[in-house]
Amino acid sequence: MERGVEASRFESIADRVINWSRKFSLWPMFFGLSCCFVEEAAVFTSRYDLARFGAEVLRPSPRQADLLIVSGTVFKKIAPVVLRLYEQMPEPKWVISMGSCSNSGGMFDVYSVVQGVDQIIPVDVYVPGCPPRPEALLEGLVILQEKIMSERPARRVFHLGGGTQGTERPVLAEGVTKSSDPRGPGYPGTVIRGTSLLPGTLHWGNRSDLMWTPQARRAVLSESDAEVAAQLLERFGSKARLAPQSSDMLTFEVDRTSLKEVLHFLKNESSTKYRRLDDLTAIDESARRDRVWNKGLCEGTSEVGAAEALCKRQPGENYSDFTMVYQLLSFESACRVRIKTGLEAKGGEKLASTASVTDLWPSANWYEREVFDMFGIRFDGHPNLHRLLMPEWWEGHPLRKDYPGRATEMAPYTFEDARKRQPMDGMQLSTLDNKGPTGDREFFLNIGPHHVSTHGLLRCIAGLEGEQIKSLDLEIGYHHRATEKLGERQSWHQYIPYTDRNDYLAGSSLEFSYATAVETLADIKVPERAQAMRVLLAELYRLSNHLVWMATFAHDLGAMTPNFYTFAEREMILDVIELITGGRLHAEFVRIGGLAADLPEGWKEAVDKLTAIFPRRLSEYEKLLRKNPIFMARTKGIGRISLEDAISWGITGPNLRACGMAWDLRKNMPYSGYENYEFEVPTATEGDCYARYLVRVEEMRQSIKIIEQVARNMPSGRYVTEDYRYAIPRREEMLRDIETLIHHFVNVTRGMKIPVGEAYGVTEVPRGEHGYYAVSDGLGSAYRMRVRSPGFANIQALPLMATGESIADLISIIGSMDVILPDIDR
Amino acid sequence: MHPIASGAMSPYHAGVFSLAVYTILVMLFIASQLFLAAWLGEKKKTEEKSRPYECGMIPSGSARFRYPVPFYKVAIFFLIFDVEGAFILTWAVVYRLMGVAGFIQMSFFIVLLLAGLFYIWKQGGLDWKEV
Repeated sequence: MERGVEASRFESIADRVINWSRKFSLWPMFFGLSCCFVEEAAVFTSRYDLARFGAEVLRPSPRQADLLIVSGTVFKKIAPVVLRLYEQMPEPKWVISMGSCSNSGGMFDVYSVVQGVDQIIPVDVYVPGCPPRPEALLEGLVILQEKIMSERPARRVFHLGGGTQGTERPVLAEGVTKSSDPRGPGYPGTVIRGTSLLPGTLHWGNRSDLMWTPQARRAVLSESDAEVAAQLLERFGSKARLAPQSSDMLTFEVDRTSLKEVLHFLKNESSTKYRRLDDLTAIDESARRDRVWNKGLCEGTSEVGAAEALCKRQPGENYSDFTMVYQLLSFESACRVRIKTGLEAKGGEKLASTASVTDLWPSANWYEREVFDMFGIRFDGHPNLHRLLMPEWWEGHPLRKDYPGRATEMAPYTFEDARKRQPMDGMQLSTLDNKGPTGDREFFLNIGPHHVSTHGLLRCIAGLEGEQIKSLDLEIGYHHRATEKLGERQSWHQYIPYTDRNDYLAGSSLEFSYATAVETLADIKVPERAQAMRVLLAELYRLSNHLVWMATFAHDLGAMTPNFYTFAEREMILDVIELITGGRLHAEFVRIGGLAADLPEGWKEAVDKLTAIFPRRLSEYEKLLRKNPIFMARTKGIGRISLEDAISWGITGPNLRACGMAWDLRKNMPYSGYENYEFEVPTATEGDCYARYLVRVEEMRQSIKIIEQVARNMPSGRYVTEDYRYAIPRREEMLRDIETLIHHFVNVTRGMKIPVGEAYGVTEVPRGEHGYYAVSDGLGSAYRMRVRSPGFANIQALPLMATGESIADLISIIGSMDVILPDIDR
Repeated sequence: MHPIASGAMSPYHAGVFSLAVYTILVMLFIASQLFLAAWLGEKKKTEEKSRPYECGMIPSGSARFRYPVPFYKVAIFFLIFDVEGAFILTWAVVYRLMGVAGFIQMSFFIVLLLAGLFYIWKQGGLDWKEV
């Protein structure tokens, strides 16, 4: 009896000592999935200073870590990796689930996302928020420390049996121990809200039809456009037809058989040469509401000519099964052209195919693989037609209209799935010729998806000989957040928050692109003040993004110091952004037709303070790097790409300008009043890592210049359009008259209706040209929302830059390219 | 050999006993540390935990193969010239004693090695990337 008391007294003292030591020496793993990790990273830097809580040493390997902070969206493709990393951590270990996505799937109730990480690993502390502010993570850590103090680890430590330590909570199972019905429990069997909005699932008709709008905008063709149109009509006759309506650019409908000839002609022979493949995508037309179904007529005839005559479709009246969309860009005339081709599908599987254009543009490789993945369209002559974004085991093609969009409509993702659904073996994905047996000199190394220097969930499979890269293959899709499918479900207005998350460092810049697309389509005039405010936000985010890039690039090359400095200035910029928008990473401030609110009092002083300090600080930070011989040796002459290659691979943004081309949409195809500001487009000629560094640093200086000018000349007037058919009215006005109240009610509840048509809206975001191709079927949400991201094209050229270099150079190259995964995988 | 004058160095008593005690204490201390580190704490061995860590992926291929080490060549060359340094340094100490003959012999030695170095250099032996 007495011995028992003794033992428990010893235990309780030992418990307290062990717990106290553990609580102040937590070692978090350097593990991030998406947006939340940026806030997590901010916690480690000077302003929030996690070191105060004894948890500042981030470990890049699970072997050395005891705290897993799951920050961001857990994708079905990455879930097996999350589970493995957790299991590779030694005992005891704790888990913090950071952010709504990790907690419950958050706003991404969509096919590729696990609805809560607690379905695959146990979780101690949930930190709410989207993303949680850094302070919230600090609180989460404090709560975890309290939890650690309540543990009884002594018995475990001394092998006495019993006792508690680390995460003891069970893994949850959807439908058994948890419910991810967004409406809460008690609604099984009832249709989820918003279902009526989905094209193809019209249960009760759609109330958008009761709303009237003017027709979509009609673009006026420029002289060079008209010339190209005439040439096309002359050369291809009836096989190429001018589209009856276009809101943004010259659009042609081309027969499938002459598609490649037309593209070849436009690239090499027409009066305006379209040298860049801007975008390549498809639309599933099967759910078009005005589709005239005369297939029965066509299928009866066997003669090809007769079938064509019978099935001759009136453009705008009906559609093929799929439409392929090719968008080309000409640098000389600064204009675009869109080529559309209808594809017919055969059989129950809806098989369709067309010729690959990879021989015209190498960059078409990934675009076509994506279309194959998402729509199931095959490309004849494609060198490697496999799934790109979805894992190999995936069934179905998510962007088809008959595919369920919501994760909650599918079978829940379970612990067993995470065990079973392993990513493909690196050797199978590699293109290295010599996949010889053991004893060979070559071997394969996975760099990523969980790697400090891949800046997100990117998987590089390097075929190495010693340190030299013989082949490099990329596997993407670990961060596929189904943002295009979401665009078909969320109302035009609701989609704005999703656009931020397509590039979590560029915030409002992407809302800006999206709004531009919708405004072009519906011909909405944005007031001057709103235009200037958008420019201000876009440039602030450019600065903030480039600062993070500078810090991480230096960090990749082994220089920790710039991290702590540039994040301090970044916080300053975020303060200004927060003052104006109320948000940090995701401002969600741009609205269709303007912005959410006017500039607050004191904005000018805050901006002026920033512009006064920033250039001097920037020069200081530059010295940290440019006077560092290691930095210079690891960037100069490394990862070179020629201008020719950069164009044919569709590289945009600073990466293109580093090859010597002064191409910047803000200058070459000005929008939102950029033509009124004085700034230069910095370029470099070498096309190597150092050139990319130079261009970005100089861009920061130019951004400051633009910000100064915007702040000085901020026009007065409205911050949102008067056309309340499409905009959320200002509150003061909404409370004043019934008309505006009705608009407010309708636009907030069922959402505005956008006329039938399509438009591409694009802006120069920090990484390049980020555009939205919005297709409307005259409903409250988009019929098809295509996101053309700069990262997708940029990263596709990575093997070109890195093959032949050493493995350490790969890190330098990835760092210099400024990649971000949500914009690659979308 | 001249005997060392008394007082020039500290008195030396061969304390074998203290040395033995000291050695045993050190050994015991090290053993206790190793034992505590190995024994204390919870240890769970699972399949995943014993798998090599490779960015969260299952590694492909075997780790038993001829790994090319470009550093190896550079290291070997360095070793040769390192030994050369040892000869030159010892010669420098007795430079005056050796006289002109020694100087000529040493110069021949250095020139020979330099010729070797230039040959290696020309052959690309110092290039890191050439495997």
